[in-house]
Amino acid sequence: MSEWLQQAIAHADSIQDGFAEQRSASLALLKDTKWPNRKTEAWKYTPLRAVERSSAVIKEDSPELMPQSVLGADFLELTFVDGQLVALPDELPDGLTITMQESSIFATIKPERHLFGLVNDVLASDIVIVTVAEGVQVEQPIRINNLLSSGAQAHIRTVVELKPKSSLAVVETSEAHGNTLATAFTEYLVGAEAKLEHYRFALQTDDNVAVGGSHFKLLEKAVLNSSIIGFGSQLQRIDTDIIHAGEKADAKLNAIYLLDGQELFDLHATVEHEVPNCTTEENIRGIAADRSRAVFNGRIHIHRDAQKTLAELNNRNLLLSDKAEINTKPELEIYADDVRCAHGATIAEIDKKALYYLQTRGVSKSQAQLMLSFGFINELIDQMPNAELAEWVRPIIRDRFAQMEVK
Amino acid sequence: MSNENVLLSIKDLHASVEEKNIIKGLNLDIKPGEVHAIMGPNGAGKSTMGYVLSGRDGYTVDSGSASLAGEDLLDMDVEDRARAGLFLAFQYPVEIPGVSNLEFLKVSVDAQREARGEESLTSAEFLKVAKEACKQVNLPVSFLKRGVNEGFSGGEKKRNEIMQMILLKPKLCILDETDSGLDIDAMQVVANGVNSQRSSERSFIVVTHYQRLLDYIKPDFVHVLADGKIVKSGDASLAKELEEQGYAWLQTEPKEDELED
Repeated sequence: MSEWLQQAIAHADSIQDGFAEQRSASLALLKDTKWPNRKTEAWKYTPLRAVERSSAVIKEDSPELMPQSVLGADFLELTFVDGQLVALPDELPDGLTITMQESSIFATIKPERHLFGLVNDVLASDIVIVTVAEGVQVEQPIRINNLLSSGAQAHIRTVVELKPKSSLAVVETSEAHGNTLATAFTEYLVGAEAKLEHYRFALQTDDNVAVGGSHFKLLEKAVLNSSIIGFGSQLQRIDTDIIHAGEKADAKLNAIYLLDGQELFDLHATVEHEVPNCTTEENIRGIAADRSRAVFNGRIHIHRDAQKTLAELNNRNLLLSDKAEINTKPELEIYADDVRCAHGATIAEIDKKALYYLQTRGVSKSQAQLMLSFGFINELIDQMPNAELAEWVRPIIRDRFAQMEVK
Repeated sequence: MSNENVLLSIKDLHASVEEKNIIKGLNLDIKPGEVHAIMGPNGAGKSTMGYVLSGRDGYTVDSGSASLAGEDLLDMDVEDRARAGLFLAFQYPVEIPGVSNLEFLKVSVDAQREARGEESLTSAEFLKVAKEACKQVNLPVSFLKRGVNEGFSGGEKKRNEIMQMILLKPKLCILDETDSGLDIDAMQVVANGVNSQRSSERSFIVVTHYQRLLDYIKPDFVHVLADGKIVKSGDASLAKELEEQGYAWLQTEPKEDELED
């Protein structure tokens, strides 16, 4: 066990709440887990040095921080500063409840194999439970803000349950200043015929170290539409698991990463098709500049009973420099014989026909290349169902892209 | 005819694609304000002519010359040909998801204005002219927000091409089978767009397979392109003749389809 982990779990005993049983189970598992090294498949391209060397600590006192506003959007805000829950919405719409009581869902959706998920089980002090009652359509999106001040280590956890035929949008976002370390995990149980619109923005860069995940279990005819947008930092790792546990569930995952400098971004997406007749569509696109490194692992596991599965995984990447690196690995594991699956991963070149078309209109070749590269990312932003969020994030992405150099 | 009066001058042009000769000694002079129709069978080199003149990668000029307003076209980059006033309306316009039509149009217009030493339009000014152009070709304004040609029908794509022509104000427009895949109503919209842009300064090459489009866009000259060169020229009545007789009289050997994409 690493020194960092030893120090981290020394904190575990100080938390007393209704989750004690699950926490001690996770602690026991954690004590049996080997600290990953280069040979650990899940961490092969993402060394944990940044965690081991982090000096960020769990703070007692934190400054007041406010989340960025999004023009035109009105969120129900759940705000954590340095891991402490500091703000809950004053009023909730009918049928939506937010509590910090025990939950039977906590630590049941997120698979046990995620080391930092176990760390989060043990160390997240303010576990928030969000529940949407049956048949309730919540119009206002919930935004979970994970705000970190310099030097802070934070572990935040949210559990969201959508009862049958309900709908909800959740935006997970983080902002970090200076040297910080965070684990932010969220578990979602999407009930029968319920609809979840999900966003995860990981736009903090520089010295931030973040390891987290969004994990979903879909029951019969549940619909998930998830968008993940990440920039790299010293270490930025997101695990997402989508578990099709009820027939005719439908999942769409779009993810974008844009990396510069020496940043590292790692997305591990796992989809479990446990039952028949479910669909999955994943579109993952990234651009890596300078000496940055992107890691994408996309696993689709189709269980023996999961006949009539439709699953597609597409990962496209653009490299802007010789020294940038992309490690992409799509994995299909199929045990059912009547399924339609496709996967592909490419290190893309610019579409020559499109380039020519733009040039015939007088656009210079270099500008046309920029437009097409941005368009490659923007296409997924265009697909975000929430227009305010799309309009908010588009210029942020555009600015970052404009700073990235082709070398 | 003095050279100064010629907008486009093509002299004994030979060009090939993937080492296959397609254009085999093309000669064509076009004066400002003229509309020339180019007709001919499949594989004659009609589309190739547009690609060669616009400078598409993979289309190699083997010999001959082509100049636009006295400037050597063949020596320029694709974008510089456009800035010099050449416009090619594609037979198969390219879909570019993620790049909005409005952005694409503004960047194109800005690039050409800059080349002419004019100031770029503000976003508000441009939006106004773009909306106007939309109206002219009967495209809903919402198409400006969509990805370039993304999910457009065949007719919408062609109208989008004409809209670009209206905004870019080129000196020479090559319309490559702009009528293909259009019903009569859509063709009329396209033809009206083209006719609205006819002027004593602007010339057109209308490449078409059928005479039908020429009922709406009246050409000054009609040429028959076969096996990479012009084999017959005449006035608008030649198109009628061709419509009745077909191209069998050319007695050329059957050719492979043109390389389109």
